[in-house]
Amino acid sequence: MGQSLIQFKRRSPGVTSCQPDRSGDGDMDSPRMRRPINNLKHLSLAFLAVAAMFAAFVLSADTLAAETSRRPNIVVILGDDLGFADMGSYGSEIKTPNLDSLANDGVRFTNFYTHASCSPTRSLLLSGVDTHQNGLGNMDEWTAPNQQGVSGYEGYLNDQVVTLPQLLKDAGYHTYMVGKWHLGKAPEQIPAARGFERDFSLLDGAGSYWDMTNFTAASPRSVFTEDGRYLTQLPKDYYATKTYTDKLIEFIDANQGDGKPFFAYVAHQAPHDPYHLPQEWRNRHVGEYDKGWDALRQERLRRQIELGILPSDTQLAERMWFLPDPIVLAPAPRALLGKKMELYAGMVENLDFHVGRLIDHLKKIGEYDNTIFIVFGDNGAEGTDLFKMIAGSPGSRDYLFAAINWSQTHPNAWGDPGSYVGYGPMWAQASMTPFSQYKGWLAEGGIRNALIVSGPAVKRAKGSINHGLLHVADIMPTLLEIAGASYPKSQQGSKLPALMGKSWGPLLAGQADAVRTEQDYLAWELFGNRAVRQGEWKLRWQFKPYGKGGWELFNVAKDPAEREDVAARNPEKVKALMALWDDYVATNNVILPSRSVFETLEDQLPMRVPVESGYPPLIYKRQFVPPQEMMADPKP
Amino acid sequence: MRIDTYHMKPFPWLGMIVATMLVVGTLCPSQAQAQVPARFYWKTLSGTNAVPLIVESLTGNTNPFDPAHNVSADADIDATLTLMGYAKFFPLLDRAAMAAVLLPMGRISGDVTVVGRAFSESVNGFGDPMLEFVVNVIGPPAQMNIPDALRYAPGFSVDLLVDLALPIGEYDDDQALNIGQNRWYGRLGLPIIWQLGPWVPGRRTTLELLPAVWLFGDNDDYVGQTMETDPLFQLDAHLTRDLTEHFWGSLDGAWYSGGEATINGVSGEKLDNIGLGLTFGYQINDNLNLTVSYKSTINDDAPDDLRMDNLMVSFVYGWHKLIEGSRRLKDEE
Repeated sequence: MGQSLIQFKRRSPGVTSCQPDRSGDGDMDSPRMRRPINNLKHLSLAFLAVAAMFAAFVLSADTLAAETSRRPNIVVILGDDLGFADMGSYGSEIKTPNLDSLANDGVRFTNFYTHASCSPTRSLLLSGVDTHQNGLGNMDEWTAPNQQGVSGYEGYLNDQVVTLPQLLKDAGYHTYMVGKWHLGKAPEQIPAARGFERDFSLLDGAGSYWDMTNFTAASPRSVFTEDGRYLTQLPKDYYATKTYTDKLIEFIDANQGDGKPFFAYVAHQAPHDPYHLPQEWRNRHVGEYDKGWDALRQERLRRQIELGILPSDTQLAERMWFLPDPIVLAPAPRALLGKKMELYAGMVENLDFHVGRLIDHLKKIGEYDNTIFIVFGDNGAEGTDLFKMIAGSPGSRDYLFAAINWSQTHPNAWGDPGSYVGYGPMWAQASMTPFSQYKGWLAEGGIRNALIVSGPAVKRAKGSINHGLLHVADIMPTLLEIAGASYPKSQQGSKLPALMGKSWGPLLAGQADAVRTEQDYLAWELFGNRAVRQGEWKLRWQFKPYGKGGWELFNVAKDPAEREDVAARNPEKVKALMALWDDYVATNNVILPSRSVFETLEDQLPMRVPVESGYPPLIYKRQFVPPQEMMADPKP
Repeated sequence: MRIDTYHMKPFPWLGMIVATMLVVGTLCPSQAQAQVPARFYWKTLSGTNAVPLIVESLTGNTNPFDPAHNVSADADIDATLTLMGYAKFFPLLDRAAMAAVLLPMGRISGDVTVVGRAFSESVNGFGDPMLEFVVNVIGPPAQMNIPDALRYAPGFSVDLLVDLALPIGEYDDDQALNIGQNRWYGRLGLPIIWQLGPWVPGRRTTLELLPAVWLFGDNDDYVGQTMETDPLFQLDAHLTRDLTEHFWGSLDGAWYSGGEATINGVSGEKLDNIGLGLTFGYQINDNLNLTVSYKSTINDDAPDDLRMDNLMVSFVYGWHKLIEGSRRLKDEE
């Protein structure tokens, strides 16, 4: 790490600059004090001297606290499966005034990359090290046979890395976590073991928002920890988003005033499916989405362009070829599919509300102005029907479990315990406007997300937008720099892998518009899909039919929707990026999985065909109306 | 990983509407005209048609075909009543409305004493057809299309109800017991539905009230005499609850007050009676709904108290052209 561009004064606890004055009238060892105290004047002077000493000591302690607190608090807010275009400040019609207020106070970024699914992104955030080294080379749920037993593919955040909260704690921060962990369940893998002083955590990747019900007969109960203890039950009136916020506020208040800053990792479960939502949040957009996903994407893109999020010539990605143009749908499916999006919008608005509660509380206790907020979604929006994957087919063990626990299928029950609603690929694409595809894939719709940073570290114009290339792994070096901490070379005698990210210090300080050069590159691999980005270019390999089963090249600066594969026209660029891919594989011990969740997808989906506007004309034909003057009744 | 396009297909959703439509008990059984069961005034998709077939077995000291429930002391009356009808749901100024016609028919027998004369009689045939009109005045707008139906939940809704019986049923002026009533009569009411909790099949709970007043014309030829009847106030109450998605139950209560009959200037007793009952409803399929209920008066020890018990089985067949068309397409798949 170079010289810090983000200057916050750090003082070691217990070291004061204002030692009690041991000279002059206050010096108890001075000759004058050794003289007999023979009159009231002298007695009074002595009393005053003691009082002055005490006052000086108290003052020095206050000054210490004030100076120490100049290091900012840090709040990282993660929206689980929150899409690029789901916040108002990124063009959404969903009302997110609190998140937008952070954007207005800070900076929005448009070229920020996460990973394609949740636990890999979280591992990058908390370790700063590539997934193939930190244990999330594959998701725990999909570790391939050839990856099992290999370091870097444990399926949890392994002990080869040191975590951000651990380093911040060592640097004098309180470290709190609330929400979804998904980085291991064993005692040595839980938040308390990985650097968090206080936590209230869902260890699973998802589950009910209302109780401990999970998805399968083999793993029927969600596992929670609180301060390192596995919970036997949840608090009364538990609702995930609310309870996580309550707990965090409680953690903050418990240590408020001790002079130490805090790092809070707010890993909200929302808006991940199932869309469990209090009744009063479900009907805020009734009928608003009956217009369909194409219209919504167009509206969001228009606003994104107006806001300056995207260039004016940005095109929407193709609608997924297996989805219909909503124009052909009857009112019933429009309404029902729209209702799913209504529920999702409610999830996001409820999330925003609770973020607002946290912001308000920090303002109330005087900490808001000294708090850095980092807000983003952990991957693309979810377009896959997870429930279908989980529940299996009739006769299976998990189907029976779902029949008992997850069968509240009536639309009026959506949001209740026992209901499972996800909004499907059509709305996921809308959440990822203007990009192609969604969570799980390495198209832009799977890995490019909104990012808001606000707080005292940000010296850029309030409400500004930056288009520099950023990565979630940058957050660790950035926050270490802000905290005045450093990344150690080794841990308990073992050499630590190098951080892969770059500090955003110069960028936030307004001294640079990007932290990466044209030569720097980013790379991803998950489920066998691969991608490399360097400068404007992106090389991508994806399973058919989402990809071609071969390398494709896109200029994502000009074509962020990845509409046109230009590999054939740019063989040299392909070759150059392939070399970077090889470098990435060698550096990070990337082992392509021998099995993949996507391996049979081509056999399950309709044949991929281009989706072209207005085709086929048949479905857009209207009733022919002849000229009035040429109409006649039949002749007798 | 599989992408499911199930939700794009129209029929599953239309089928759901069918279920919704008939779970709401489209034109659920009308009892002996003076009483209606729980869930009778639930709303459904505009354009829906329904035909009820209701069979009732009644005993008591009053003519069940006569909503005035004139008590005949020491009478012992048995009746088998069948009601058939037709109802149509339609929008009226954006409000849900229903128009229906109900035709009672059946047989009745018993011993009756009228102004000191004892009659032992048995009659059968058609009763007075009743026209009914209901329009919602407080509550959600009419369900004009399937999305409206999907989003419907009654919340707190109030209807305006108007009934009018046409005095064309079979009537024999020599008899005290008749199926037709030989007079105009009708009802004004305010059906109230109060949704308690979620509107999810399997979990719906409602408190339903029907305050109503029955108004009666004179029967100028009641066994050769004139019968006048004061207005009768009636309050029906039902606490209903889904037991499963297709099965529901209801605790029923009814309070009758007024309805003092005067025959040739001789006044009878005012009614002040309470009846309690139990209803179970079951949706047999997308079109057919079954209801079974029993109701009995409770404070009926005195000779002049209203005494009536009623076992009722009803079938209601409902349809909507959109649903039927979708079913035909589905059957082709």
